[in-house]
Amino acid sequence: MARVALFVPCYMAALRPDDGGHARRVLERLGDEVQTIVGPCCGQPAFNSGYRSEAKSVGRALLRAARGHETIVIPSGSCASMVKHYLPGLWAGPRGASIERMSERFVEFGAYVAAHPNVAALPLRLSGAVTYHDSCHGRRELGLTEGAVGLLEQVEGLDVRRLAYEDECCGFGGTFTLKEPEVSVAMARAKLEDVASRGVRVLVSSDLSCLAHLEATARATDQSLETWTLAELLDRALA
Amino acid sequence: MSPFRARARAEIEAGPPAATLSPILRKLVADSRDQLATASPPDARARAQAARSYAVDHLDELQDQLRESCARQDIGYHRAATAEEAVALVTQLLGDARRVAKSKSMVAEEVGLTHALRVRGKEVLETDIGEYIVDIEGRGPSHITAPALHLNRARIRDLLAGAGADVPDDNPVRLSRAVRDVVAEFFGEVDAGITGANAVVANSGRIVIVENEGNVSLGVSRPRLHIAITGMEKVVADEEAALAVLQVLAPSATAQPLTAYTHFLGAPEEGKERHLVVVDNGRSEILADERYRDVLRCIRCGACMNACPVYTAAGGLSYGSPYMGPIGAVVSPLLWRDGRHADLPSASSLCGRCTEVCPVGIPLHRMLLDLRAGEAENGGSRVEKAAWKSWAAAFAGRQGRAASWLARLGLRAGGRLPGLPVGGARPIPAASPSRDPAMLVPLNSIELEPAPEPEPLAEDVVAAFRERASVVGAIVADEAEPEEGDRRVRATAAVASTGSVLLTGEAAARGALMDARRIVVDVEEASVVRFPQELGPALAGDGDALILTGASRTADIEKRIVRGIHGPEALVVVVGSGTAGT
Repeated sequence: MARVALFVPCYMAALRPDDGGHARRVLERLGDEVQTIVGPCCGQPAFNSGYRSEAKSVGRALLRAARGHETIVIPSGSCASMVKHYLPGLWAGPRGASIERMSERFVEFGAYVAAHPNVAALPLRLSGAVTYHDSCHGRRELGLTEGAVGLLEQVEGLDVRRLAYEDECCGFGGTFTLKEPEVSVAMARAKLEDVASRGVRVLVSSDLSCLAHLEATARATDQSLETWTLAELLDRALA
Repeated sequence: MSPFRARARAEIEAGPPAATLSPILRKLVADSRDQLATASPPDARARAQAARSYAVDHLDELQDQLRESCARQDIGYHRAATAEEAVALVTQLLGDARRVAKSKSMVAEEVGLTHALRVRGKEVLETDIGEYIVDIEGRGPSHITAPALHLNRARIRDLLAGAGADVPDDNPVRLSRAVRDVVAEFFGEVDAGITGANAVVANSGRIVIVENEGNVSLGVSRPRLHIAITGMEKVVADEEAALAVLQVLAPSATAQPLTAYTHFLGAPEEGKERHLVVVDNGRSEILADERYRDVLRCIRCGACMNACPVYTAAGGLSYGSPYMGPIGAVVSPLLWRDGRHADLPSASSLCGRCTEVCPVGIPLHRMLLDLRAGEAENGGSRVEKAAWKSWAAAFAGRQGRAASWLARLGLRAGGRLPGLPVGGARPIPAASPSRDPAMLVPLNSIELEPAPEPEPLAEDVVAAFRERASVVGAIVADEAEPEEGDRRVRATAAVASTGSVLLTGEAAARGALMDARRIVVDVEEASVVRFPQELGPALAGDGDALILTGASRTADIEKRIVRGIHGPEALVVVVGSGTAGT
C-alpha cells in the first residue's frame, strides 16, 4: 500500500471541493493510503501575470505543506506543470536545484492513476458518451493526453468521442480570461462548438479551471453541458 | 482596458474574425503538419533551428563576412541603425528613380518604408496581391505572409472596384488577375524594385527571396536598380544553412513544399545595380539580452499565428503592430521600447501551441512570461500590483482567506459575453454539481473518420520527383514539342520531395524566363536529389540561381489557390536520362 498526499489546489477547494473527494476515493480504491493537503496555491496566477516574487512566496507555502511526502498527487495538469516546470526556476543556485528535485515528487492525478500497478484491476463501468478536453499545460508540458484518454477508454460502456480540434485552447488562461474576456469567450465558444459537434453533453477534463470557464460560457449561451473532472468520472464509474 | 482588448473587442463586435479565419487556419495548420512530414526530412526542424541558432550566435562575424562577399559580388552593402536611417538610406539609393515596384518585406513594414517614400514623392506600388489589397484598404496587413487574410472576397471586390478595377463579381481568380494586370502594367515602366530578403548568405553574398506570384522576379530583373531590405538577423552562414531554412519555411508558412520561385540572387547584371540594406532598429539590444536573443532565429513564416487561438479569435489587426500573433506579442515590445506594445505579451492564454509549431524552436510562450515579468517590474498598474500583494499575503499565510479570492476567477468572463445581457448573478458552477443521468446519453451516433495519413514520398527519387512536380502544378513529360514562346533550359538539379528544379547561371536569367510563354526544363534523372538540403553542391559558387516549384500562383484571397499570375503560363519538366534536351 502506497502512501500518497493528495493536493487539492486552491481553485478546486474553492469551486468544487467534492472533486477532491472524488480523487481521494479513486486513490483509495487503488489501495493507497491518502492524506490530503487542501487549499494552497502553486503560485501560477501571479507567475503568469509576471508577479514572480508573489508567486514565489505562495509557492513556498505549498512546498512547505508538501514536505515529508514522497508522492504528491495533483488533480490538475496546470498546477502540476507550474510546480514541475516553473516553480523551481524562481529560486537561484542550489536552492533551485533542491526544489527541482522536490518537484519531481509531484505527479498529476491522471498520470499517477494510469501508471498505478493496480489500475488494470479497477472495475470501471459507466454507460454513456462523453468527450475529453485536453488542458494545454497537461498536453504540451506534461504529455498527459494519452494517459487520460486511456483511462477513459478503460471504462466499460463508455463511448469516448475525441474532439476534432482537441489541441486547441479553451481560452481560460488564468488571468487571461479577466484581462481579455471577449477573446477568451470567443475561444470558449469555438471549443463548445466542437463539443456540440460530437453529439455529447458531458465534457471530461483533467483541469477544473478549463471546465469552469467552459461551463460558465455554456450557461451564458444556453448550451446544455455538464463538466466533469477525470476524478469525478472515475469515481462515478467505480460506484 | 488595454489597447489590444479595445481593438479585439471592436473586431469581434464588428463580426467575429474567427468566422473567416478559423476554417482557413485549421486547414492550414493540418496541411502544414502533413507537408513537413512528407516534403522535408525527419530532422528538418532541428536542422533549421541549428542553422538559425548558429547565425544568431555568430551574428557580428557573419555580417562582416557578408559585407566582404557583397563587395565581391558588386552588391552595395549598407547598414541602418534605426528605422529613420533605413528610410534615409533607401531614399538616397533610389536617387532620381521615381516609379518603384515594391514586393513584400516585413522590415519595410516595420520602418514604414512605403509611406515614407510616398511622402518623399516616390510613386510606390505594392506589387504583391495581398499587399496591394491592404494598401487600398489602408489598415495594414493582418498576417505576415497573408496580409489580406482578414478580408473576404466580397470585401476585396468592393475595395478593388473602389480603386477603379473592372471586377464584375467576386471570383478569386478574377480578383487576383485584376490586381495582376495593374501590377503588370506598372512594370512596363519602372525605375527601381524594392524587395525584402528571407535570408542573406554570408559566404557567397547571395540574397535569398521566396515568392509565389512572380512579382519579385519582375522586380529584381526589369528595373535597373534593385534594393533588398532586411533585418540584420536574417544572415545565414552558407547555402546549406539557407536550404535548411527554406526546407521548413514554405511548409510552415503556407503548407507548400517550396514557393513557386526561390531566388538566390548574386551579382547584378551588366549595367544594373543591386543594394542590400541591413537594418538593426533595436535588434542589437535584443541580441544582448539572454532572455530574448533566440527570438532573432525567427524566419517570419507565421506558423505561430496560424496555430494561435488568440490570433484566430481576435484577428491580426487587433495587435496594432506590423508583427502580430505570438511572434508579434514577443518582438513588438522589444522593437518598440516606448511602451506602445507593452500590453501584447498579455494577449495570450499561454497555451504553448506557438512554441510547439515553431520550426526554429523559439520558446515563444516562455518569452511571453518573461516579458510579463519585465512589465510587472518596470511598468504595470499600481492597482494590479497591490492586488497581487494582497493575494500573496492571503495564500502565503493561513489558507482560509485564500479560497474566496480565486473563486471568482474564470467565472466572470462567461457572464460577460459581448452582446449578451449581463445578469446580476454570475453563473457559478455548483460546489456539489447535481448530475442528470440523461446527460450521458448521446444525442446522436456519429461516425468519426480518422484524418487521412499523408501520402509518403516514393522510395525511388525519380518517380517521387515526377509525382511531386505534377502535384505542384508542373507538366511532367518525357519529351516536349517546341512551341512558340518557349524558353528551354537545362536544370542543374531537381528535388524529389518538393517537385522542384534548380536553374543556375544563364538558365536562371529572369528576364528571359518571365517573357516566355512556357518554361521547358530538361531534368537529368541522375541529378534528382531527395530533399532540398541536398542541393548544396549544385549551389556551389556565388552565381545567380533559381529554384522553380510549379508555375506562379497566389493564395492571397481566402487562401484559394489561383495559378498563373506573372510570367509563363506553364512549367514543363522533361525528365530523361543521358541525352534529353540536348
